[in-house]
Amino acid sequence: MITKAIAFVWNWIKQSWMFLCFFAGFFLFWQYSIDWFDIPRYILPKPTEIITKSSADLDKLLYYTWVTGSESVLGYVIAIIVAVPLGLAIAFSTILRRTIYPFFVSIEMIPKIAFAPLFISWLGFGLLPKVIIVFLVCFFPIVLNAILAFGSLGEELTRFCAATGASKKDAFFKVRLPAALPQCFVGFKYAAINATVGATIAEFIGSDQGLGFYIQIVTGNMRPDLAFAGIFFLTLLGLSLFGLVTLAERLLIPWHISQRRH
Amino acid sequence: MIQEAVEIKALTKVFGQGENAVKAFGPSDLDINEGEFISLLGPSGCGKSTLLLMVAGLLESSSGSVKLKGTSVTGPRTDIGIMFQDNTLVPWRTVRGNIELQLELRGLNVDDYSERIDTLLQQVSLSEFSQNAPYELSGGMQQRAAFCQALIHEPDTLLLDEPLGKLDAMTREVIRRDLQTLWMQKKQTVMLVTHSIEEAVQLSNRVVVISPRPGVIDQIFEIDLPWPRDLEVKNSPAFSEYVMQIQRIFQNYGVL
Ligand SMILES: Nc1ncnc2c1ncn2[C@@H]1O[C@H](COP(=O)(O)OP(=O)(O)OP(=O)(O)O)[C@@H](O)[C@H]1O
Ligand SMILES: [Mg+2]
Repeated sequence: MITKAIAFVWNWIKQSWMFLCFFAGFFLFWQYSIDWFDIPRYILPKPTEIITKSSADLDKLLYYTWVTGSESVLGYVIAIIVAVPLGLAIAFSTILRRTIYPFFVSIEMIPKIAFAPLFISWLGFGLLPKVIIVFLVCFFPIVLNAILAFGSLGEELTRFCAATGASKKDAFFKVRLPAALPQCFVGFKYAAINATVGATIAEFIGSDQGLGFYIQIVTGNMRPDLAFAGIFFLTLLGLSLFGLVTLAERLLIPWHISQRRH
Repeated sequence: MIQEAVEIKALTKVFGQGENAVKAFGPSDLDINEGEFISLLGPSGCGKSTLLLMVAGLLESSSGSVKLKGTSVTGPRTDIGIMFQDNTLVPWRTVRGNIELQLELRGLNVDDYSERIDTLLQQVSLSEFSQNAPYELSGGMQQRAAFCQALIHEPDTLLLDEPLGKLDAMTREVIRRDLQTLWMQKKQTVMLVTHSIEEAVQLSNRVVVISPRPGVIDQIFEIDLPWPRDLEVKNSPAFSEYVMQIQRIFQNYGVL
């Protein structure tokens, strides 16, 4: 078990050492160029300063990560729960495909985040407007990809199902659903990136807690070191959400080309 | 009297409408007896797959009619076995799972067929790969697996669209022999699409030659050779004569 883990990590290092070196180089450059170019601290702090100075705020940062995280995850999960069945319905219903589908496609053109101030003014500073905004930025990529996924079963497989006389239920669960999963995950992954962005911007616009709120306040107080700490935790949050979705993808569709290892 | 298993009358298929209409097949007639092995031979794009799909009820004809075992084909027919030109193996199931998919979708009990799956896999030399995913198999192996998938429910009518297309010459020879043995035991009615004249002559009672677009049935050859058509028969002058006759037609089409 342990040897396996070591071998895995070692493999990973061997494969990505170039990237790791670049990454380390980037931070080293940042660290020393502050002195070389004599950059004032209120413009850009050193990475080490970000770590030391923000540690006092760690409790707050963790709590705010939790706040922003719940907003993102709630909105994201609700978006999946609503968008996938809806996408399924639209893919299979001619009426819906002629009405709601073009409507969705045109709404997709609107930057949903533009609605954020409106929702804040209607619903206040609480959790609800943030969840709605996250929902909005996640919903459309998921529903559009779900429509595509369920509507584009290959001709040959459609005919195969017809030739077996399979019941609707069997054809759906044994063929259509698994065949649709890869395309659905394209939407899930895209939305996972949108989720934290949506939550952060919603917090910029109006809130009294969360990482977006924190970054805005500390920037106003000329504390870019703390702002970078906030950004770090946001990045962590975004990566975790994306990582979880990628893990789910790997577990659910290990057979898909994008998941196969060569 | 031998019952007609397939009756095709003035059947046509036109894709699209008006200016952009593409005549894909027909009009043509063809009667196939029960237990007869028929090969469809014709240049690419002449409508062989189209014809097969219409017989299976998976593609609506533009005019004319098809009768299968005495009843008109009006929708998908489930009382046949069909192997499509592109294989219908799904990547989320193993080779065995894919064969079982045919049974499951038909509401048949998988356990009842367990031994038959083993036998079929053995016949096409895929026993060792029954637990592999299709994408771990070569193109030819996938085709053999798809062949088992199409046959597992023991249909008495088989529609095979280039089942041996992607196989290498040697495996092709082996599977042809197995196909013939299988057919000689069970005497299913078979419609086989192929591009190989030798294959058509070797396996069939009759070889149906379809002309280039628009594809209509041009000539039908009765192949009067003894069964089984082993190497000895294949090396006989009579065999070569059939092959040459058919080759000449294709030469006249300008495709050979
Ligand atoms: N869905 C479709 N829409 C429009 N045209 C089609 C469609 N399917 C087939 N055709 C046309 O019908 C004709 C016959 O196609 P078909 O697939 O039956 O040919 P084929 O004889 O099976 O060829 P091959 O040997 O290459 O498989 C072709 O000209 C093709 O372009
Ligand atoms: Mg074809």
